Amino acid sequence: MASFGWKRKAGEKVSKTAVQHFEAEAEKTEADASNREEEADWLYAIKRRREVLMEDCAAKSKRLKDEGAQLAEQGRHWEAIKKWDEAIHLTPDNPALYEMKSQVLSILQEVFPAVKAAEMAVKFRPLWWEGWQTLGRAQLNLGEVDLAVRSFQVAVHLCPSESTLWQEDLAWACRLQKQHLATKEKVRQEEEAKKQILNAPELEQDYDFESEEVLAACEAVAERQMRYEELRKTAVVIDAEGNIKNVVTREGASLNTANPSKEQFTKARGI
Amino acid sequence: GTETIVTGSLDDMVKVWKWSDEKLELQWTLEGHQLGVVSVDISHNGAIAASSSLDAHIRLWDLESGKQIKSMDAGPVDAWSVAFSPDSKHIATGSHLGKVNIFGVESGKKEYSLDTRGKFILSIAYSPDGKYLASGAIDGIINIFDIATGKLLHTLEGHAMPIRSLTFSPDSQLLVTASDDGYIKIYDVQHANLAGTLSGHGSWVLNVAFSPDDTHFVSSSSDKSVKVWDAGSRACINTFFDHQDQVWSVKYNSTGSKIISAGDDRAIHIYDCPM
Repeated sequence: MASFGWKRKAGEKVSKTAVQHFEAEAEKTEADASNREEEADWLYAIKRRREVLMEDCAAKSKRLKDEGAQLAEQGRHWEAIKKWDEAIHLTPDNPALYEMKSQVLSILQEVFPAVKAAEMAVKFRPLWWEGWQTLGRAQLNLGEVDLAVRSFQVAVHLCPSESTLWQEDLAWACRLQKQHLATKEKVRQEEEAKKQILNAPELEQDYDFESEEVLAACEAVAERQMRYEELRKTAVVIDAEGNIKNVVTREGASLNTANPSKEQFTKARGI
Repeated sequence: GTETIVTGSLDDMVKVWKWSDEKLELQWTLEGHQLGVVSVDISHNGAIAASSSLDAHIRLWDLESGKQIKSMDAGPVDAWSVAFSPDSKHIATGSHLGKVNIFGVESGKKEYSLDTRGKFILSIAYSPDGKYLASGAIDGIINIFDIATGKLLHTLEGHAMPIRSLTFSPDSQLLVTASDDGYIKIYDVQHANLAGTLSGHGSWVLNVAFSPDDTHFVSSSSDKSVKVWDAGSRACINTFFDHQDQVWSVKYNSTGSKIISAGDDRAIHIYDCPM
């Protein structure tokens, strides 16, 4: 019997660029070391090398971030994300990288990864209102209206003077929230009406089929069915002032309620 | 004795708690706010609570019955932190256009306003003697008004970053300010002199409050800590790290025997002070 084992690839979790970088560095230091005098201070050299490496990572990450931002501005979104992913490998705790990545993922309609990226941004920099704004927008795209409202609230608390937060984000999210509530209420009404048709109280009693009572009962049932049909034909609409209305739609018209066609611009964030 | 504690939260709830026999009990849950509560204050006789929310409504609550007394619409973005006047007849709130609006508790209407000609006002404080009103703005500017004349007495360029809280000492001689720059500053109110700059917090200072006996004040910060300072020596004499997240609010009780703090970790902590 063959033994079972997880498939394992060497260096699976290490990015290719990082490996190449490491190998190149190793070769270089080997070459360096052979030239060096024998009484070199190794402890100091190791420490120094680590510092150099960290500075190197930061500088490289910054360069990749800027390159990504340029690509994003040109509309080359996937390429931008690749650059930022490389930068994230080098500096995994830089919130700006996650935040920019989230914005671009949102443009690409990668709604769930966009939320994930923005969550990392606010995790590493919880006092940064722009991170919360981006998280809220990503949550809105995912349809998580309540979570989005909460994120925008946090952002407003951090920076109450930012008018876009009030006028665009919070106002828009609240309208959607209202709409969701109204839609839910309407679905409940519909279910209620349907239930009444299936278990009509008129059917529970016995009738003398010659009497007027039967006619009245039939009328009542028919009226109820009409009401249900009418309910099904209406859609919840919120007008510009935020008032909720039930509007009769044409047969087969799509109920496209929560679809903000707002194009969001990518903005390069300074660290 | 018994203490009354009022808290507000992002989920629109204003909660009233009773602290007695070393136990915290929820007395009222007050509903009605929308978009999250920004600020709460309690009148000096302990009868009324005021709260403001992001939808720019100020609500007054009767603490005895747990009922809403009044709801005032301050207009868009025109209510941030609320503060009762020492005689509990007025409520002051800052607005985004740099005006301090004064509402009548009895009338439920805006009675007058003081104009700083500045930016968004985040914090408000009355001096306990009822003479002064101080406001802290998002750009770090402090304004001090004479309430009797309504005149702007001093404008201080206190901090370069938002001032989220300020408080007068009980003798109304000192004004303590807390800012996002991580510093706490102390001013001599009469001469508008800077009397001291205190560092110690590792992040935004979100709230400051004076002890009733004038000897200490307490601060809370985004660095998750609560610090107690000696008002005389201006040294930090104790630091509490009991919160898991930012500490938005901190207060003394009326006798100065206890400190209370509330934070983003949804926790309320009560600390005993040596008397």
